Amino acid sequence: MIKRPEVLAPAGTLEKLQVAIDYGADAVYIGGDAYGLRTRAGNFSFDQMRAGVEYAHARHAKVYVAANIVAHEGNLPGAEEFFQHVQETGVDAVIVSDPALIQTCVLAAPGLAIHLSTQASSCNWETLNFWQDEGLERVVLAREVGIEEIKEMRRHTDIQIEAFIHGAMCIGYSGRCVLSNHMGLRDANRGGCAQNCRWKYDIFDMPQLGQKNDLTSVGPDGKKEAFSMSAVDMAMIDHIPDLIDAGVDSLKIEGRMKTVHYVSTVANVYSAAVDAYMRDPAHYHTDPAWVDDLWKVAQRGMSTGFYYGTPTEQDELFDEGRERPQYRFIGEVQAYDVATQTVTVQQRNNFGIGDPIEFYGPGFTHYAMTLQDLFDEDGNAIDRAPHAMQIVTFHCPHPVRPGDFLRGQRVRRPHQRKAVQHA
Amino acid sequence: MAEIIATTESLEQAQHLLNAGVDWLYAGEDEFGLRLPHSFGRDELPALVELVHQAGKKIMVAVNAIFHNDRIVKVADYLQFLTDLHVDMVSIGDPGAIHVLQTNRFPLPYLYDGADLVTSSRQINFWGRHGAVAAQVAPEVPYGELVPLMQHVDIPVSYLVYGASVIHQSGRPLVDNYFSFVKQHQERSDRQRGLFISAPHKPETHYSIYEDINGTHVFATNDVNLMPALTRVHDLGIQYWKLDGLFVPGQQFAQIAAAFVHARDALAAGTWTADLAADGQHVIADNTPANRATDTGFFDIDPNEVQ
Repeated sequence: MIKRPEVLAPAGTLEKLQVAIDYGADAVYIGGDAYGLRTRAGNFSFDQMRAGVEYAHARHAKVYVAANIVAHEGNLPGAEEFFQHVQETGVDAVIVSDPALIQTCVLAAPGLAIHLSTQASSCNWETLNFWQDEGLERVVLAREVGIEEIKEMRRHTDIQIEAFIHGAMCIGYSGRCVLSNHMGLRDANRGGCAQNCRWKYDIFDMPQLGQKNDLTSVGPDGKKEAFSMSAVDMAMIDHIPDLIDAGVDSLKIEGRMKTVHYVSTVANVYSAAVDAYMRDPAHYHTDPAWVDDLWKVAQRGMSTGFYYGTPTEQDELFDEGRERPQYRFIGEVQAYDVATQTVTVQQRNNFGIGDPIEFYGPGFTHYAMTLQDLFDEDGNAIDRAPHAMQIVTFHCPHPVRPGDFLRGQRVRRPHQRKAVQHA
Repeated sequence: MAEIIATTESLEQAQHLLNAGVDWLYAGEDEFGLRLPHSFGRDELPALVELVHQAGKKIMVAVNAIFHNDRIVKVADYLQFLTDLHVDMVSIGDPGAIHVLQTNRFPLPYLYDGADLVTSSRQINFWGRHGAVAAQVAPEVPYGELVPLMQHVDIPVSYLVYGASVIHQSGRPLVDNYFSFVKQHQERSDRQRGLFISAPHKPETHYSIYEDINGTHVFATNDVNLMPALTRVHDLGIQYWKLDGLFVPGQQFAQIAAAFVHARDALAAGTWTADLAADGQHVIADNTPANRATDTGFFDIDPNEVQ
């Protein structure tokens, strides 16, 4: 019998936690106000954590708290109280990489499940068994591990295995990178990563200091192409059966700093894919609509990382800049009146009459239309909804539900078109 | 008195290093160890061990790779080989290798070397409780943190006082991938090729980069040299001074090692002076390869400056 894996989504804020769960995530991971690697993400206070746990548990979902820094001397006082408070909120596990914090958690919050972070770069089954002997519940594998390796691990261990399936990837073994420390005095293993790997470097040999023989070359487009260590993002949407059959217990989506649009879309897609496979494995196929949706929130090209072999130059970003999504999040449905076919929307980004828009909702529902009319809260006809959180209504012939989201294709505004014409 | 550990690239260099007075030689095979000056195969290592032991010194063998399944299954056999050779210590960074060591009850002491991940006394003591007899502290731990760290560790620590400091390890062939993308043929991308990268708008930087079977390795722009800070290193009570000759060949590295041995002895005897430190600096400057530079790395960084 095939075991259903959980779809684990990132949640940088309480709103994203709720959205992720509403859109199909079986579990979310969040950061506390200390010991997490995403210092710039919206991290949770203990009260917010408690609220998130309450929301999740009411919907049979789990909450994990990332406390995955590698602590230095002086970072550890207060860790006992941190884990005790985390445990009191009712979270289901903490994600830790530093053995100092693991030990602290075990002693201060006995019974609180511990997951080993990918920062520990676990790549073999002996390592998994080491941590299982330590009482850990789960290991998040290094992103360098392949599908066949996971199958082999599963034959030698029964600790829970979590693996990344989607999102941005470190180019190096996670944890084994201190580029930020040396290039900008920002500790990558304490939340300060400045993504120096994505910088553009010169490459050269140098017989003597200062005597550089530049080896930087030109790319296929004829332009000078700097050396970089930037990976495209991971997307395993075409390979969900492989992951499930290999015995992965948790399918992890990267992106605690990503938007509500990203979290809702990616959680929606992967939960739909897992549901489809569990429903009928023999006739499973990748729905092209899932792939289309992932591209709507993609910021870079996508690849399968190390799952099917060592990545080549095709799996790295050289010539392309950061690709911005062609779709953007523009609103959330507040209400729908069936009688008048009128939808009430809270604006999140500027949109207006003539824009192609798309509703999407939990359970992978979609409806696309072109906006024909638009009214403000007082019923006045307007052309656009330019104000953040503005409440507007418009005609929508297809029923939608509160909590559904709207995205819009990026379009040039009239004044921008004029500017282009004048140019 | 602190003991000095030096990497070695050959039997010839090993002899020079032993003559220079180092206490430990550090060597290994690329399949099991990381960033080694030479990959000593099983046909070569016995002679090195014998040379070291005949000199009354000790040898540490690197088993500190990040192992995947295909190589972790070879670790037990390798540890048996090292046990039979009476190797004095191994360095390990992957808990899987510790698991193999302990479940097979190999009588090999191990130094925990998780590279940049070893940053606190509490972590070091964790590994001490799991059998480690020593730990290699990350070069990114500055003096300001070493002071309290040394007050709380339960096992001896080793610290890099000279040599290249790795700042990134990738499982990808980053150099080959780049040259493949730009369709520029390069015969090699290994350490001997001598490649560097420089950061945007900082042409003065020169981070060594190379590939081997363990992936791609990037090093700090300057090698560590704590000769100017040895009084504080000595006063900290750091038990092992690590000298890494990854980029310093032959007798040049032995000369540098000799300078550190002299410094260590003078510090222990209470005869260390600023003039002797200046002499040591000259030895290092004279023997550092023309394409490399040194500084004190993170040692003098104020911990509060690191965000």
